[in-house]
Amino acid sequence: MKVKLEKVSIQTKKPIEAINITPQIEKIVEESSVRNGLVNILCLHTSAGIAVTEGLSCLEEDIFFILDKLVPKEGNYHHNRYLDSYGRLGINAHAHLKSILTGMSAFFPIQDGKMVISSRQTIYFLEFDGPLYRTFCVQVLGE
Amino acid sequence: MIDFHTHPILVKELVGSDEALLKAVRDVFKMGSSLQPLETFLLQMDVAGIEKAVLLPIDCSTTRGCRILSNEDIVKLCKENDRFIGFASVDPHKKNAPQELDYAIKELGLKGLKLDPGLQEFYPNDKKLAYPLYEIASQLKIPVIIHTGLSWESNTMIKYSMPLLVEDVAYDFPKLNIVIAHFGWPWVLDSVALALKYPNVFIDTAAHYLDAPKEFMEFVMTKQISITAVERSLRTKILFGSNYPRIEIRKMVDAVKGTGLTEGCLNLILKENAQRLLNI
Repeated sequence: MKVKLEKVSIQTKKPIEAINITPQIEKIVEESSVRNGLVNILCLHTSAGIAVTEGLSCLEEDIFFILDKLVPKEGNYHHNRYLDSYGRLGINAHAHLKSILTGMSAFFPIQDGKMVISSRQTIYFLEFDGPLYRTFCVQVLGE
Repeated sequence: MIDFHTHPILVKELVGSDEALLKAVRDVFKMGSSLQPLETFLLQMDVAGIEKAVLLPIDCSTTRGCRILSNEDIVKLCKENDRFIGFASVDPHKKNAPQELDYAIKELGLKGLKLDPGLQEFYPNDKKLAYPLYEIASQLKIPVIIHTGLSWESNTMIKYSMPLLVEDVAYDFPKLNIVIAHFGWPWVLDSVALALKYPNVFIDTAAHYLDAPKEFMEFVMTKQISITAVERSLRTKILFGSNYPRIEIRKMVDAVKGTGLTEGCLNLILKENAQRLLNI
């Protein structure tokens, strides 16, 4: 079995942002020479997320709108305290919680060298506390 | 808007390739967040609506064996982007510190002096160590920003950073513009007293020590001081500073804007007071 791991970094440009990473994942799968298997996508941060939905800007807005209702930026969070390992206060509890709600990973099957993804599906990297330089990893497994 | 208080200590292009500097950032400045490209810093300014940012280094060679960015590092960043305004730092314990300051301003083109009495271990009113620097700064007509109040470094002592220690300096150097950083928190009223009394004393807002930024700023501006006092008496004496990357700039801008100050007062705090001090 082949196992290929690639780390992809992106510079987010806004405090919140939905970035379509589907083409990057497809390219990695195609270049992996894995014919049949699966691909895992994992966000390497806890204040950003990975989500799969239809690639529409209205839905992108809805994601952030609803998440903000569920987890408002300003709330009575215990995380708003000094974190000595960071040298600053933890003031992004909302971003961590949104990341939990959306999840931080996705996977897709690979068949005949291509990712099995429907025409409606878009893989998004979701920034909840940007702008930041972010990394996600893509692992391709198969034969 | 101008951010009068930033530390470019997480800029990957500077710190990423310098092991000793990274160690200083982690072990001395106690900053554990990940390094980010310079582009992130600029984007952080963009989303906050900040046009220019003052970059502050700290030379604590004698007491900590390191510089948390050198004057040359700051110059390098300023050359990369004209949105940066570089300040110098010199080690007050070094005999040639006044000459170094003179060089940093005249030759390197830096625009002010940053002192951190906690990390550098000196009292701001120390006539032997600090006064020669104030003499030079006063002659060169550059502002001096002094860390005051609490700091995040558990390896430093607050006794060096009490705001009232700045009074001697303000009194003895009436032509020297002095910025009491971080509101001098928690000695906010001491800082306010100095800013009220001395025309050459200013305060920056780069303080976030408890709770969320908005909650903390509201506490300082409406409980420790009062909004009316800021509006009436301190509007020309407070400068916006974020202390990035200890906090994102936009979160501090939102916090200051959220205090309910009038637009005119906010303009002074967020821009015009700094322009006056920096002569830009």
